[in-house]
Amino acid sequence: MFVTLDPAPPRAVPPHAPANGNDGLDPTDSGGRGPKGRRGPGQKDRGRRQPAARKSPAAEPAAPLASARAARRGRQHRGARVTPYLYVLPAVVLLVVWSYSPLAQTLYLSLFDWNLLPTSPKRFVGLENFAEALTLPQVGRALVNTLVYITALAGFSLALPLVIGLAAQQVRGRWKTFYQALIFVPFLLTPVATSAVWRWLWADEGGLITLVLRSLGLDVDHVFRDQSLAIVAIIAAVGWQLLGFGVLVIAAGLAGINPDYAAAASLDGAGWGRITWRLTLPLLSPTLVFLGLMTILLAAPWTFSLIDMITKGGPVDSTTNIYYILYQFGFQNFDSGLSAALGVLFFIAFGLVALGFVETTERLSFYDD
Amino acid sequence: MAFVIIPTMEPAVQEPGHSTHGQAAAPGPAPSSRRAGRWAARRAASDLPVGSRAWGRLTVGHLTLAAIALFSIFPVYWLFATAFRPTSDALSLSLIPQALSLENFRYVWNTIPMRDMLATTFVMALAIALGQLFVATLAAYGFAMWRFPGKKALYLLFIGSWLVPFQVTMIPNYLLVSRLGLLNTVAGVVIPQLCSAFAVLMLRQHMQAFPKELVHAAQVDGRSSLATLWRVIVPNMKPALAALGIMLFISAWNEYLWPTLILQKSTAVVQVGVRSFLSAEGNNWGAVMAAAGLACLPVFAIYLFLQRYVVDAFIRSGLK
Repeated sequence: MFVTLDPAPPRAVPPHAPANGNDGLDPTDSGGRGPKGRRGPGQKDRGRRQPAARKSPAAEPAAPLASARAARRGRQHRGARVTPYLYVLPAVVLLVVWSYSPLAQTLYLSLFDWNLLPTSPKRFVGLENFAEALTLPQVGRALVNTLVYITALAGFSLALPLVIGLAAQQVRGRWKTFYQALIFVPFLLTPVATSAVWRWLWADEGGLITLVLRSLGLDVDHVFRDQSLAIVAIIAAVGWQLLGFGVLVIAAGLAGINPDYAAAASLDGAGWGRITWRLTLPLLSPTLVFLGLMTILLAAPWTFSLIDMITKGGPVDSTTNIYYILYQFGFQNFDSGLSAALGVLFFIAFGLVALGFVETTERLSFYDD
Repeated sequence: MAFVIIPTMEPAVQEPGHSTHGQAAAPGPAPSSRRAGRWAARRAASDLPVGSRAWGRLTVGHLTLAAIALFSIFPVYWLFATAFRPTSDALSLSLIPQALSLENFRYVWNTIPMRDMLATTFVMALAIALGQLFVATLAAYGFAMWRFPGKKALYLLFIGSWLVPFQVTMIPNYLLVSRLGLLNTVAGVVIPQLCSAFAVLMLRQHMQAFPKELVHAAQVDGRSSLATLWRVIVPNMKPALAALGIMLFISAWNEYLWPTLILQKSTAVVQVGVRSFLSAEGNNWGAVMAAAGLACLPVFAIYLFLQRYVVDAFIRSGLK
C-alpha cells in the first residue's frame, strides 16, 4: 500500500516502516487491488528511474529515502519469502499426495500387469495394457455411452434450464424463490435415495411411471433390464437431479445482466426475441459455457453412483460408462494395469476437452464490461 | 475428489461482470422503485420497457416454473408418501396416503444400526467440511494477499486438479490408504479429501474482494499475518465461510464412491449401509423408501431451516 502510494507522499513512509517490516504481509501486493498492472510495472519503473533521477539536483533529497525504501523492501521480501508458502503448503501437500502423485502412479501402473495384491509381483508389460484397452469392445461401448450421457444430461442442465429461465424471466420475488426452492431439492438428494426412488417409480409392479405408461398403451416392463431403455431411465434420474442446478445457475446469470441494456435496446425498437438473441444470450454465454463444463464434470460422479446402484453397468454393458469400467476393471476384475491404462487415456482426453473449453470460452464469451 | 455442488467461475469471468453490474445497477431506478410497489418493481426489473404488457409472459413463466417444480418435487414427495404408508397398503397408488404410520421407519431403525450410521456419517461429513474449510482458508489467504515466485504455477496446480477424474486416481489412493492402515476407518475416508481445490478457488475470490484497508490497519497495529487472518478476515467472512461450509458438508454427506471403497463394513456410513439394505430388502418398497428418506435427513433438515440462505449463498458465492 505504502509503496504504491509513495510517489505522492514520501514522508508517510518511514514512520510506518518498522510496523511493516515486522509483519509478514507484503504491502506491495496486499495494497493493490487497484487497476491491474499498475503495481508491478510501477515498481520496476522506479528502480529503473532512480539512477536518472539522482542526476537531477532536485531529486537529491529523495535519494536516502529511496535507498531506505529499497532496504526495507529487501527485508520484507525476506519475510514474505516463506510466509505465503507456509499458508499454501498444507493444501499443496494434500493436493500432491492425493491427486498428482496418484496420477503419476496411475501412469506407472499402466505399464504393469498386477492384480492389486501386495504379495503378488508386478509384471512389466510395456504398452500392452493400452493396446488391450483400445481394442476391448466394452471400452468402445462405454465411450459411446459416455457421450450419450453427457449430451443428454446437457439437455437437462443447460438447454432446459435456459428455456425455463427465459420463460420465467417475468416471475420475480417470493414466487420465484418458492419455485426455485422446490426445483433445487433433487440436487440435494443423496445418490442412494435417488436410486431407490427411481427404482420404485419404474418398478414393474406398482411403479408409478410404469403404470402411467401402461395406461397410455406403452408396455414397459423391467426397464432396468431392457438394453435400450435402461440408459434412458438412468438419464432421466440424473437429469432430474441436475435440472435444479442448471435452473438456479441460469437464473443467477440472468439476474446478473444489467436490465439497462434491454431497456436501451427496446427504446431502439428491438423486440423480445431480438433482445434475447442479440443481448441476453451473448451476455449469458459465460454462464452457459460454465454450465457445459459443469455438466461434463458432474456427469461422471452422478451417473456413476446410479449405474453402480441400479444396473451395475448392465444389461450387457448398455448403461456402462468410462468411469464405471475404470472401477470395474480395477476393483472387480483386479486388473490394475488395464484400469490404469484406461485412466491415463481418459485423463488425456479430458484435458483436451478442457483445453477446448478454455479456447471456446475465450472466443465465445462476451463480458459485460 | 469430492464433487462440486456450487458453481464458481474463473475469476476473469466473474470480476468484470460483477463490478460493472454493481456499479451500473446501484444508481439505477430498480432499488428506489422497489419500494414503490410490487408492480412497479416488477416492471422496472424486467427486461421489458416500462409500460409494456407483461401479463402473457408472466402467466407463461408461472406455468413453466410450476410445472418444473412439480416435476422436481414429485419423486421426493412420493418417496416420503410411500415411506409413511402402513405396510398393508404399500402398493396403494393413492396420491395422498390414507393412513400415516411410522411402521416402515421403525422397521428400518430396528433392522440396521441407523443411529450409529447417521452419527458416523455426520462426524465424517463434518470433519471433511471443517478440514476443507480450514485448509482452504489458509491457502486462499496465501494466494490472495501475497505475490510470490511460483504463485501462478501453484494456482494452476489447483485448477488442474479439477481435471483429474477421481476414478483415475482411485487405485493409487486406495493403495496408499491401505498402506497407512486406514482401511475401514473414517480417517481413511476423510484424509484424502481434506483439500478441496474448489473451496480454495472460491475463498480466494472472496478474500481478494476483502477490503484491504482493514488488513492494513491490522498490519499497522503490528498484528502478525496469522492474527490478521484469524482476528480480522475470518470474523468478517463468516457468512461466506458458513455458506461454503454448508455446501461442503452436504457434498461430503452425499459422497458415495470413496466411502464405499474404503469402508467395507456395510454398517459404517449411511450411504453404504442403506445401499446394502436396499439390495437386501428388494421390493419391500415402504422400508426401502424409509431407509432412503433417513439417509437424506440431515441435508433436508439443513435445507428446510436454511433454505433461503442455502439458495442465496449458492447463487451469491457461485455467480457474484
